[in-house]
Parts: sequence; structure tokens; C-alpha cells
Amino acid sequence: MKQYQVSAAEKKFIGSHILVAVLALAVGSFFGPLQAFEHAGWDFYIYLKPFIKSYYQGLTVHGVLNALVWTTFFIMGFLTFNVIFGLKRPLKNIVLNKVGFWLMVVGVVAAAAPVLMNEATVLFTFYPPLKANPFFYLGLTLVVVGSWVEGWGLIITYLGWRKENPSERTPFVAFASLVTFVLWQICTLGVAVEILTMLLPWSLGLIEGVDPQLARTYFWFTGHPLVYFWLLPAYISWYAMLPKQAGNGKMFSDSLARLSFWMFLVLSTPIGIHHQYVDPGVPPVWKFLHSMFTFGVFFPSMMTAFTVVASLEHAGRKQGGKGALAWIGKLNWSDPAVASQLLAGILFFFGGIGGLANASYNVNLVLHNTAFIPGHFHLTVSTAVTLSFMGISYWLVPYLTGRKLWQPKWATIQAWTWFVGMIIFSNSMHVLGLLGAPRRVPLGLAPYVPAEWNSRLFQVGLGGAILFLSGAIYLVIMYMTATNKQRVESEVEVPIAEAMQDPALGPAWLDRWAPWVYAALGLIVLMYGPVLFDMIKNIALTSPGFRVW
Amino acid sequence: MAKKDKEDDEFRPTGTIAILAIFVVTLIAIWATIYMILVGRGGTTL
Amino acid sequence: MSAQNIHIDSYERNWMIFSFVLLVLFATAVSVAAFGMGIEVPAPEQRVDPNTVATDPNSPWSNPGLREISAGKYDAYILARAIPNWEYLPREMTVPAGSSVSFYVTSSDVQHGFMIQNTNANFMVLPGQVSKLTVTFDKAGTYNFICTEFCGSGHGVMYGAITVTP
Repeated sequence: MKQYQVSAAEKKFIGSHILVAVLALAVGSFFGPLQAFEHAGWDFYIYLKPFIKSYYQGLTVHGVLNALVWTTFFIMGFLTFNVIFGLKRPLKNIVLNKVGFWLMVVGVVAAAAPVLMNEATVLFTFYPPLKANPFFYLGLTLVVVGSWVEGWGLIITYLGWRKENPSERTPFVAFASLVTFVLWQICTLGVAVEILTMLLPWSLGLIEGVDPQLARTYFWFTGHPLVYFWLLPAYISWYAMLPKQAGNGKMFSDSLARLSFWMFLVLSTPIGIHHQYVDPGVPPVWKFLHSMFTFGVFFPSMMTAFTVVASLEHAGRKQGGKGALAWIGKLNWSDPAVASQLLAGILFFFGGIGGLANASYNVNLVLHNTAFIPGHFHLTVSTAVTLSFMGISYWLVPYLTGRKLWQPKWATIQAWTWFVGMIIFSNSMHVLGLLGAPRRVPLGLAPYVPAEWNSRLFQVGLGGAILFLSGAIYLVIMYMTATNKQRVESEVEVPIAEAMQDPALGPAWLDRWAPWVYAALGLIVLMYGPVLFDMIKNIALTSPGFRVW
Repeated sequence: MAKKDKEDDEFRPTGTIAILAIFVVTLIAIWATIYMILVGRGGTTL
Repeated sequence: MSAQNIHIDSYERNWMIFSFVLLVLFATAVSVAAFGMGIEVPAPEQRVDPNTVATDPNSPWSNPGLREISAGKYDAYILARAIPNWEYLPREMTVPAGSSVSFYVTSSDVQHGFMIQNTNANFMVLPGQVSKLTVTFDKAGTYNFICTEFCGSGHGVMYGAITVTP
């Protein structure tokens, strides 16, 4: 059976997302290891002075390009592919999607320019009253708005499909991609309000001051579900693609996979205050309520762990795997797309543990803004997400370009070096955090660092060096693949795992949008309404801007 | 679409239980370690 | 199988029940620590004007420092500032072992953090807000307090110390 043919124009369009994503990763990742080297006492920033003024400018470049640009562009490309391929239907209006894409590109350029000119060294959280050049805020706004426009293009494509297929179940990859986009659409309202009502007019001189506590609250309204916007595309691949690639396995439970996506939509926004447990201006009752709901959002992740591992086990047993754990060896480890995502998944177990600790209300007193936090999110966004996206690109780029993956063996080496480097880096960061080391500090120079931290700081640098190597291999593979003269013999097969139970036999309420979207909005009103109402009623725009870098 | 294979009916995810058991033990151990650090560092009252 | 019934494998159902119980246990443990052992997170204390908080003679932060309010009980008014030189005022304080110290920390410019090493005092410091927590120092020694939020070029050198005498 021939697979659905995505048009050449659409492939090129999806590919341009991946291109921008990889370019951002190339620049951003260059600066990641420089922070790690600094911790080990090898400061390379002194050699970069003509271009990059400080550790913090480098850290801003790293955070903005990797956490915001690489992820968002890769995700919008991957979701677009999933909707087209899942629904077996072209984009309803590709012009609309292209407008969205170009808005995002213009936004990235507008935001990156002041960062590279040291006019926006505010890190990727841009907490006021640190005041960046207005183009930084304008650029971020355009990236968000552009992603909305692209998402709307996906929604009208879905509505067209739904009109012609009123009683069919939405195919899983399209369904899950649309949920991810709707989550993004809802949660980005926080940062949109923050920028449009405070930061942008303030940076333009239209208002005198900002309210930093209110700004933080808007920011984390978006900031936590942002984590799920990064993670869910990786989940889509783990649920519905990886079992197929790993050994022709089936998705263990289609219904629970769908239910967990709905739970992420409903639960991931009204918990943002768990990033503000130690903020002075948020009443503890809201902190506590948000912590309880955060425990709630851990639940669909536990379901995901079961379904994904069981689907992989199904693949392993199909390949003749035996025993409680020995079947793992039968998975298709020689395929770099598989190895990357399995290794990403293994480290995500530890990322989940750290995340649960962070979210556990007063336990956060031990961890807040310590090195534990970057240790944690380098397991989640920088491994579970990034290494999975790298794995996806190992089949997606050959699929989109018709060019063979260059040196699959090196791609496998890349996955393993990322895994090893990240274990060394992240483990030492977690331990340093528990010992009391703060994050966002050039610890190689900080005057208060006790001698007992030194061996861990060296390991941070060592892990960074291995990651630097791994990142470089990835970029070479991407470049050599995109320009490879060797073409694939026939179109790369898109890995889609069937479900064990026919999705049509699942309950219809799992394919209805209204109740879930209303539940999500209702919970946001309940969990954020009173606290935001109070803050806005007592708003004090008393903080002028500062440029202290 | 997905037809139910006989072998799928017989498939019991025992290995999954093994992996998740290891995960849960690790989860509890790490979480409890951090919790004990919290308790050991003493009170912070309002 | 009815079309409206969600099919859940028995192993997976047990896993979901187990996960739920586990999360309830974690939630109970943090509640016990918060309400039983007195390990609390900051609450709204007071709003101030960051532009005048360090200069207004009626503001305690115009004269930051330690005040003994009764035997063994202290209030510490601390000003965190990036301008001109990334520092806490005062940088150093001394109390005898067994003292209970309430920290009132605010900022006259950007966001800062405040983390006292080897204690659970670890919170954000925002301009316009006062962060307060009370800690008892039972063991003698030097406790550094460190800035934990990026506050500009000098963030990495911003710290102070509390000396607890035996």
C-alpha cells in the first residue's frame, strides 16, 4: 500500500521550519558548552570579547535560540507534517501557514539582533525591570503571533477534514498535534498580555514603569505549559512512531494516549504558580492549590510512561525478545532515529523525577534557582525533547528532501555521546544544586564557591565538552544529509504504529473538543482568576527599567 | 484499520511492569532524599 | 465490547491506581512539612515603592541592618541592589546561636534572589515587594547568603554572610 503523498511544496515548507530550527541550534549550542567550561574554570569568553561581551550575553543567546527558537520552529514544522499526513489532506490554505512562518522568521531576526548587539542581555526569562531593546519584545511577539497563524492554518485544515468525515476518529498523530497547538494557543495568552500591556509600551517609553510581580505571574502562566508544548511533540513520536521504528510494535492503548493528551490540555496551564512558590507577592493558598494540580498533571505522564514502554515491549517481543528486560536489546538500536529517542526517554525518567521534586511545594525551598534547575531542564527540554527531535530529523529530513541520511553510524554515535555527556553534565548540576550552588552564575569566578564543589564543577565542564562534540556531529550530519548527492531509492516510509484496539471502538467523548477546551478554560478562570484579579486591581507600575549588563 | 491479532490479545506487558518498578523505586529514593534535606535544614516560618 | 467503553488493560489500570496513591502520598508529605513542621513558603508581606524604599527616612531599608526586638529574636532589614555595585546592605551580620531571625528583604532596582546556605531560606526578592521568612540558627558557623536571580553583570559576586557565634 502506497503511503499518502505530501506535496512537494508542503515538504519544502515543512523543511524550511527544520532549517531555521537547526540554524538556531547551531548558533545557540555553540554557547551552551561555554557556560559549562566556565564552571570548570576554562573561560573562553575572554577570547570572544569583540563579538560577545559577557557570560550573560552568551547565556541569553543559548537560552533564546535553543529553548525558544529551535524548539518552536521544529515543533511547528513537525506538527504541520503530522496534521497533513495524519489527515491525508493538504493544507487548506498554505498561504496562511506561510504568512505565519514568515512572521516567525521576521520575529526571530528582530529579537536576535538586539541580543547579538548586547542590547537585550536579559536571559530567556526576560524578567523586568531588566529592560531590553524594544525590538527584542517585538520580535518575541511576532514569533508567538506567527505560530498562532500557522496553528490556525492547521485548525481550518482539520475543520475541512471533519466536515467530510463527520463520524471518523481523528487519526492519532493529527489529533495529538492539534491538542498541542490548542494548548499553545491558550497558554501563550499570558506572555502576550505581559508583553503587549507592559513590556513593549514600557520599552518604547510609553509608560514609566512595570509591576515585576504581575509580570512574573503572566510569564509563568505561559512558562509552564510551554514545557508541555516542547514535550508533547516528542510524546507524539514516542507514542505513535517510535514503537513502529523500534520493531514494528503497536500502540498499546490508543484511548489512554488520547486521554492523556486531553489531561495535558486541561491541567498544564492552571499550575504555573508552582514556578512562583518563593515569590513574595503570591498568597500561599494559591501556591498550595497549584502544587496539588501539579501533582495532577504528573498523572498523564505516568500513563504515558506505561503506554510507551508497553508499546516498545510489544515491539521487542515481536522481534523475539524474552525475559523481563532482555527484550530491550532486541529493539532496533542500530537505527539512529530509534537509539536517539530511546536514550532520550531513559533520561526523561530522571527529568520527571527532578520535575516532581521542583513542583513539590516547600521542597522547592531546597531547589529554587539552584543549579538543580538547569540540571533538570537539560534532561527534559535539552534531552527528552531535543535528542528526540534530533532522532526524528534522522528520518524526517531524508523523507522531506529525498536525500539519504549521511553516515547513520555517526548519527548513532551522536545519540550516545549526547546521552553520556548529558548524564555527566546534568548529574553534577543536580548535585551542585543540592549543595546550594545558585543557577545563572559564572561559578568559575564566584567568590563564595567552597572547595568541595570543585570536582563537580569540573564534571560540568567535561559533560559540556562531550555535548559540544555531539552537537557538532549532529550539525555535520544535517549539513551533509541536506546536500547529499545520494538519493533515497524510494520515498522514506513514515513510521506510524497501529493501535492494538481499533480507535473507532474507543469512546466518542475522546474525540470531542468542546468539553475539554471548556474544562481547560474553566480551570484557568478558577485557578488564576482570583489571584490575577487581585494583582491587577493593586497594580503598581513603579519599576523603571534598568540596563545593568 | 487495526485488526486485533491473536498474539496481541496474549501480549502481557510484564517487562513494562519491571521497568516501571525500577523507575518508581528510583523516584521514591530521590524524592525522599531531597525531602530529608528539606526537613534537615529546619523551619522557615512566616 | 461496547463502543462507549474505554478499554484499559488490567496492568495499566493497576499502574494508574498505584500512581494516584503515590501522588497522594507525596502531597501528604509536603503538607506535613508545611503545616506540621513549619517549613513554609513566603506570603505577601508589604508593598513598597522601589524608588524611595532606600532613601525615605520612614523606610526601615533606609537604614538596613539587624534589630534585636527581644532576647534572641531579631529582625533583619536587608536591601538588595544591583546599582551601584551588586550587593546586599548590610553585607554582614552576627547573631548568637539559637537566635531566631526574621528576614525582610527588598530591592531598590531589579529582581534578585536570597538564599542562605544550609537553611531553607531561599526566596525571590522583587522591587516593590517585601520578602519575609523567619529562620532559627541553632548551630554556630558562617552562613553565606547568595543572590540566586540574574541581576546584571555582577550577579555572580553578590553575596553576604551571617556569622552565628557559639
